[in-house]
Amino acid sequence: MSQPPTENVYLPKIAVMDRVVEEIADVRTFYWHFEDPAEQAAFRRFLPGQFAQVSVFGAGEFPASLPPSPTEEELFFTVRRVGSVTAALHQLRPGDKFGVRGPYGNGFPMNRYFGQNLLFVAGGIGLIPLRSCLNYALDNRDRYGKIQLFYGARGLKDLMYLGALREWEMSRGFECYLTVDRADDQWTGHVGVVGSLFRKPGVTVPVENTTAFVCGPPIMFRFVIRDLKEMGFEDRNIMSTLERYMKCGVGKCGHCCIGVAYVCADGPVFTYEQIKRLGEVI
Amino acid sequence: MRARITDKANVLTLVDLLREEYEVIAPFYGRGRDTCFDAVTDANRHLVQVHIPNPYYPPKRYVLPHIQRLLRIHLNDHPRIQPSDDTPRRAIFGIRSCDTAGIDHLDRFYLGRDFKDAYYERYRQNLFLVNVVCTDPDLDIDDDCFCMCADTGPAARDHFDLQLMDLGDEFFVVAGTEKGEAFFAHPMFRKGTPAHLARRRQILADVRKRFKVATSWYSSTVRYITGGQISDATWEQIGNRCLECGGCSYMCPTCTCFTVTERQVGPADYERVRLWDACALGGFTRMAGGFNPRKAAHDRRNRRFFRKLAHYFIQRELSVACVGCGRCVEVCHGDIGMPNVVEILRRTTAESERHEPAAH
Amino acid sequence: MPHTLTTCTFCGVGCGIYLESAGNALTGAYPSMTHPTNQGRICVRGWHVNEVASAPDRLLHPLVRKNGTLQEVSWDEAFGYVADRLRQIQGRSGPNAIGFVNSPRGSNEESYLLQKFARAIIGTNNVDHGLGVYRHNSIDVLLAMLGVPASTNSVGELDVSEAIIVNGVDLGLQLPTIGGRVMRAKLKGAKLIVIDPRRHRLAEHADCFLQVRPGSDAALYGAMAKVILDRGLLDARFLRAHCRNVEAFLEAVHAYDVLWAADACGIASELIEEAAVAYGRARTAAILFSTGVEAGGSEAVQALVNLALLTGNVGKAGAGIFALTEHNNLQGVCDMGMLPNRFPGYTPVTDDEGRRGFEVLWGAPLPAKPGQGAEELLSRMGKGAVRALWLCRHDPVMAASADATAVLHQLDLVIVQHPFLTETAKHAHVVLPVAAFGEEQVTFTNTERRIQLVGKAVDPPPGLTPAWRQIVDLANRLGAGWDYTSTAEVMREIGRAVPAYGAASYDNLARDYGRQWPCTTDKPLGTRFMFEEGIAGQPFSLAPIPRPSRPPCASLDYPFTLSFGHSLYYWHQNVLVRHSETLKREYQILLLDYPDGFVDVNTEDARRLEIRDGAKVRLVGVTGAAVTTARVTHEVKSEMIFVPFFLREVREQLCGEGASSSRSSRAPVCVRLERV
Repeated sequence: MSQPPTENVYLPKIAVMDRVVEEIADVRTFYWHFEDPAEQAAFRRFLPGQFAQVSVFGAGEFPASLPPSPTEEELFFTVRRVGSVTAALHQLRPGDKFGVRGPYGNGFPMNRYFGQNLLFVAGGIGLIPLRSCLNYALDNRDRYGKIQLFYGARGLKDLMYLGALREWEMSRGFECYLTVDRADDQWTGHVGVVGSLFRKPGVTVPVENTTAFVCGPPIMFRFVIRDLKEMGFEDRNIMSTLERYMKCGVGKCGHCCIGVAYVCADGPVFTYEQIKRLGEVI
Repeated sequence: MRARITDKANVLTLVDLLREEYEVIAPFYGRGRDTCFDAVTDANRHLVQVHIPNPYYPPKRYVLPHIQRLLRIHLNDHPRIQPSDDTPRRAIFGIRSCDTAGIDHLDRFYLGRDFKDAYYERYRQNLFLVNVVCTDPDLDIDDDCFCMCADTGPAARDHFDLQLMDLGDEFFVVAGTEKGEAFFAHPMFRKGTPAHLARRRQILADVRKRFKVATSWYSSTVRYITGGQISDATWEQIGNRCLECGGCSYMCPTCTCFTVTERQVGPADYERVRLWDACALGGFTRMAGGFNPRKAAHDRRNRRFFRKLAHYFIQRELSVACVGCGRCVEVCHGDIGMPNVVEILRRTTAESERHEPAAH
Repeated sequence: MPHTLTTCTFCGVGCGIYLESAGNALTGAYPSMTHPTNQGRICVRGWHVNEVASAPDRLLHPLVRKNGTLQEVSWDEAFGYVADRLRQIQGRSGPNAIGFVNSPRGSNEESYLLQKFARAIIGTNNVDHGLGVYRHNSIDVLLAMLGVPASTNSVGELDVSEAIIVNGVDLGLQLPTIGGRVMRAKLKGAKLIVIDPRRHRLAEHADCFLQVRPGSDAALYGAMAKVILDRGLLDARFLRAHCRNVEAFLEAVHAYDVLWAADACGIASELIEEAAVAYGRARTAAILFSTGVEAGGSEAVQALVNLALLTGNVGKAGAGIFALTEHNNLQGVCDMGMLPNRFPGYTPVTDDEGRRGFEVLWGAPLPAKPGQGAEELLSRMGKGAVRALWLCRHDPVMAASADATAVLHQLDLVIVQHPFLTETAKHAHVVLPVAAFGEEQVTFTNTERRIQLVGKAVDPPPGLTPAWRQIVDLANRLGAGWDYTSTAEVMREIGRAVPAYGAASYDNLARDYGRQWPCTTDKPLGTRFMFEEGIAGQPFSLAPIPRPSRPPCASLDYPFTLSFGHSLYYWHQNVLVRHSETLKREYQILLLDYPDGFVDVNTEDARRLEIRDGAKVRLVGVTGAAVTTARVTHEVKSEMIFVPFFLREVREQLCGEGASSSRSSRAPVCVRLERV
């Protein structure tokens, strides 16, 4: 009895760089497509919240969240230059070839939230992974109730996707509240940590029939969870996407394990209830 | 499972039979009591023996090499990626029951769960295991062995192709797979009798008494770890004894972690390799940017024993990630191998003041 | 898959390991269970020690500088170039215009041949091994006081030590296998006394942890000697029978005031007494120390030897002095005479009779004046500077010296032997690639005097030869007529040059796990601990140390004392570390977390001054100021700042140093700490 050989999950597929856009300092968005249209078509079935393993040949491989919603036209990554492989990625230009394999991870079950209000809370580059679900929800606007984004960063220069957010706020029916830790001359908006936005006059955050999505640095995460709990959110209605050092992306190398869960295979999306029971402090 | 008998004088003929189909690996002496697995050649064939101390460097490297090339990348305008497809056909003659259980555990991990590891699968499908039951108290059994506690030995119950057990003048040979049973066609094997079975039972009963520790003390520790009841102070006490050498993970037959790196091997050629890694090391979880969720050595000790003993993993893999081989005991500078740690965890938790009643 | 029994070449422990090879590639390394020193255990570096040989950036061809750039040439051309240039420079500027520096990782054979080349062929004593503190402060002191230029006992004996002092070395990081031994001895009941300005891993296990003010070790030992004297814990019989200078020494000890010492060291007097009594009461007590003590000057080393002699802790198992060598062959290169003032076997070059013996052995007149050491050779410019340097495995541009690049550029000839194109090699006139670990059979001598074979497991890349072979070939180009065909033959000659190596033939070394010297024809199995047959006469000399008059420098204006670390964080520059993915990851963490360097600041001090981890701080001293980053940790004591040695700005601005870190002694420096 001959079986087809097991697919080699470590084999990257060739991708081609289309264009590169500067975002904030050290952050770029890379638009790309698979060389093989069949790979492209298969990949397009990804879920919001999933990620891919990106290879820069000669430098290495790293995990990158997928910020586009599957409802969008183009595939892209938004990546901060922070280590040797991401630095090599930042050297790539349109036409250059690199590698992608995926999509991996569990993603957000967006259809489970149909009919609910969605509350997105992001800090700094934590908006990148949440962008996928936010855009998915906006592309399926009539399936969801109130959609709100509370987003904060260190300063004006650290706010991601600012242009897009402002445009969406005007045209697509969601509330967008921004804040910075420290204001500069050009900032006229709210100043304070992102949780302080909840208490801003005129802001109403529905708790009943609402799912919250939180993504940001560990300290921000802790404070926002505390705020949400105070507002009455239940653990199972708070979603987050976790980040860990990854090497294989498919649940074998062990680096991304937190307690009982592999962030790459059991996550990266977890409810706060699951996070509390992982068996290790995040 | 089927079984046969063969004369002790003949048992090494099996090595020659295997050499017709496989590269045969067997344990050989190094200096003193050091032993290692090495390929059987015409030059060293006469040195193959059944009873010999278990090699220190674990046989897991025959399914998960210490360094393994995954891909070769030729970089130019049209990058070419070539996955490695080496498929060594090997037979290990003389893998112990503990290590056999180790390979089984690796099978469940690498071939189960969410994805199958194609490289592991190729190596594993071409690996033939001849398990040897530990019966010689001087050569086979070591003070640090605790396969009885891990319920993996001294005689493996499954997961081998053939099993050899020394009955004295004869060997009791069990076939664990069809591949193994195919060898029974050879005239060196004959059918056994109930007397042979009785002798086997007797020898095993005697051998079991030779192990220092015979009962499993894991269970309470599994409960304490699963229930998150171990105090920080206990982990710190253990962590202070760790010199972060990685030896416990490198030597462990059931440890599976690896890291991946890319290195240049020619002007336009790169190879992506994976190599054994250890959660004992500080950089194992450090993220680019600096955040390290397991910075302190005691957090990493916590991690190792959680992965080995938390009920969730035992249930998910239906296998305990410890086979009682004793290597972590030998290799550890601070004497915090599995038995000592299980004892520390059990004792400090059970005797903790938290569990004391009030005075009135 | 052959398995070659060999010795790890990272640190001075010299653990027994097996190298696994497949074809001509090294595929793995793992410990030997039966080696007496490590007994089945190695550290994270040993697990990866096979990764140098297979590194993809090995140099495969010799290089000669032509028109400003290094170009690949044939071996014949490279050797011809070296020989011609050496002859020219020697003829034009004299033999002392040429210097020879190797690394403490160089093998015994290559070290012996290199210094022989320098002395017998070129005619200079400008010979050194790239580090100063060991030879200045340990070897000289140990020779003067004990007559033994090395550790007196064996690592395995720590199992029977009743008390162990660990001073100035972070065993867990630097020599983990010995750290493990000490830890296990403590767990079995030995008293562990740790003396160090930093709270390192082993300090957590100490029965007495004396977190001393840097540079105050001599005062501490003086106080301990006083307590031992007062409590009658001295070994009077031993002193009478075997030591000279006893009266002068006891007088100096008597003058010590424990309360004064407590103040000088920053340690409570009760703790000093507790440590002294623990050491004094033990029937066998060992003292382990390394560069953390040596860097403070020779007095501290004298003081600890005094303590061992005072209590009769020399000449019995489980006792003794361990002058730990952090590099795998630091002991060996010194034994082999890579010293500007001593021949192999420690005969001073000025000793006429001794020198004549070497002249006979080597068949050439030899220079009688001590030469320049590595510190001078690599920093002196202008008058008195050399014109040529031969650097065997030494990488001064990376290692420490602030002026190394400038000095190298001044030279007419820089010869580099190394497996890789190091930063130093980039400035060389000729680069000769050499075989790596596992590609040649040589010997190293570990910190317990154990001469061990390192096996050849694989062939070097085609064309590459071992460093020792190149030295022989070059010697012959200069008409030496050396006919060594193997390192075994070199060792035979070493046995004639160095009496302690007299019977250390390769056959003898291979019969067991090497041999500990003295290994002579009447002691072919070697010597486990010095004076194991008994002590004849009075070979030992006590060193009366006056109470230092130098007041502590800390004041209200400059309340923080700087403590300088020596080898702790430099491994990111090390060849093995840079070529092993795992080691690179592990040892670069500090550099990645603190890319501009760092100084360790105590947690309480940081809280008081509102300094956060990773924040910029300014250290202001009498001579200048330096800005760096704070690493906040409980490992340093309050009012102490730990400086990793490679922070040049700190050294230059605050210590007025322009030279390398290998200074023989350094006055304490006190600073003020400011947020930036």
